Amino acid sequence: MTTVSFIVPTFNSARTVTACVRSLRSQTHPDIEIVVVDNSSKDDTAARARAAGADLVIIAGPERCAQRNQGAARSRGQIVVFIDSDMVMEPALASQIASTLDSRPELGALIIPERSFGDGFWTKCRALEKSLYIGNESVEAARAFRREAFESIGGWNVNLTAAEDWDLDDRIRAIGVKVGRVGAHIWHDEGRLRLRGTFGKKRYYGQWIAAYLDAHDNGARRIRRSGLLDRKSELLRHPILTTGMVTLKSFEAAGIYAGMRDARSGRLAVLPGAHA
Amino acid sequence: MRILFLTWRDLAHPDAGGAEVYTEHVARRWVAAGHQVTLFAASVPSRPGEEVVDGYRVVRRGGRLSVYRAARRWYRASGQGQFDLVIDMVNTVPFTAHRWITDTPVIAFFHQTAEECWRFNAPLPVALVGRYLLEPRWIRSYRDRTVLVVSQSTADAVARFGVTNTVILPEGFEPVDVPKVGKEARPTVVWVGRLVPYKRPQDMVEAARLARLQIPDLQVWFMGGGPMLEDLRSSAPEGVEILGRVSEEEKASRLARAHVHVATSAREGWGLVVSEAAALGTSTIAYNAPGLKDSTIAADGQLCPPEPAALAAFLVASLPSLQAHPRAPIPYGGAHSWDEVACEMEDAVLAFLGRTDRAIGTPADATWRRAVVAAH
Repeated sequence: MTTVSFIVPTFNSARTVTACVRSLRSQTHPDIEIVVVDNSSKDDTAARARAAGADLVIIAGPERCAQRNQGAARSRGQIVVFIDSDMVMEPALASQIASTLDSRPELGALIIPERSFGDGFWTKCRALEKSLYIGNESVEAARAFRREAFESIGGWNVNLTAAEDWDLDDRIRAIGVKVGRVGAHIWHDEGRLRLRGTFGKKRYYGQWIAAYLDAHDNGARRIRRSGLLDRKSELLRHPILTTGMVTLKSFEAAGIYAGMRDARSGRLAVLPGAHA
Repeated sequence: MRILFLTWRDLAHPDAGGAEVYTEHVARRWVAAGHQVTLFAASVPSRPGEEVVDGYRVVRRGGRLSVYRAARRWYRASGQGQFDLVIDMVNTVPFTAHRWITDTPVIAFFHQTAEECWRFNAPLPVALVGRYLLEPRWIRSYRDRTVLVVSQSTADAVARFGVTNTVILPEGFEPVDVPKVGKEARPTVVWVGRLVPYKRPQDMVEAARLARLQIPDLQVWFMGGGPMLEDLRSSAPEGVEILGRVSEEEKASRLARAHVHVATSAREGWGLVVSEAAALGTSTIAYNAPGLKDSTIAADGQLCPPEPAALAAFLVASLPSLQAHPRAPIPYGGAHSWDEVACEMEDAVLAFLGRTDRAIGTPADATWRRAVVAAH
């Protein structure tokens, strides 16, 4: 039986960590392992992760890439899957990951489609946006990896705190690993999105976008999101949400731009509230 | 000890619900252990302004909205110095007893906050004012106070308003007789509750439609009445049966025969039907909503994102194994005996008063572990 290890970095994630870990615990695949890597949360994230059924809770930092690498190093599965603490997994996910990689030896990594949920108008706009990315390889990035493929590229790039998922995906494809996909979804808990909050967050992450673009020749295709306009019929069907989505993306683009400028001028923004 | 509960309703009120059942079970057991218990609640037509029920005294004054003022007036006239402890049972509108009772220690008790339920229960302007102006002010007035709650969800909810000194108490459950019935031959989902918007029955209907694309013989039973009954009946897709109100026996039997119980409510204090299903050997898939998640976790069920497509995926993935290996009934459905609840609540109020003279012993089958929630 193939063991599937899920690695979950957390930081002040008390609101979402229980649902996340429990959805992993109730996977239909019988052989899974849950490793939570907490970055010294100020709330009771670690206790909640343990209570929800995590196999291993370790404390590590300083940022989520380092947390993920530490978690992968402490896990034992032949497959490692990187999950964020605000995600809920459908019960068939682990079994689909294991059976896909078992039956198709040419694949080394898998993309898992994502959908959004949460409260309020902006979250509905985000859900529309995410639905447009499904199947769009310039936006999606692999989350599930054969251990040897993941280790052969040295794991996550600890110098990045944003766009690190594209960076890993780009590097693993560059060594010739084929990337497949599964049908079961990950559901991303957006909570209650707010425009001001999203600007601040993107400004913080924008600092590393510049570094990502410098490191990857084709990086810009990831950022441009031209794919958003590919499915015009979908957009026309939801005119209000589409307008909201454009507004949301404008705020985010402005945030990223501000963050990139911060990085170039050597000013470092501080993330408002919790991250990871 | 002489204890006064301030509560908007007592069990005799026609709209009494789970919160009133909780108070009543505790009051009855405290009286049996030697405490003197008084309940102050709103008037009930055809019931006297004062009577003794199961050994505790019920005083009824005021109506739906005036009960709060009536409580103050009654306490000034005949409550001063009569009690060793006052328990302020907050049900959306608070008594804020700590502001006007100065001669006696006051502890507050929150079953749940209202929040998004305003939208479902009040006209829009009232709902907006209630949710964003009144309720936050009401809850904030309990900052720096010790507050008893029945779930982690309620502790988290009041913490967002700065009320961080919370003690979580267990939820109680009256054991049920497990009917001698097997599981259905067809994959079967059961949904129980009033057919009102905030319970989101239409999400279950939509999830059933999606799940039936992959499990064509799936059947779904809806039990419960309510204003959406006729609409749901006329629009129910194949495989979905809207049964309306059913007897307690039929409810227990169908809960036991189904392979999975689904709960789609936007918010609950606890979600007692989840405990009931678990006590009957049926696992729950619930929307990850406040209160509902606490009973679902206690009953070892699954938490699902509040979207019909997600619910359908959870059903399709989980039903085969639930059909092959039905769950064994869980004692008290993951909740606790009322004896244990009465004991834990006595312990909590004694700790609050700095006393140790327990009148109630820990029951033999006790499983509750008290957790004091860290502020965050």
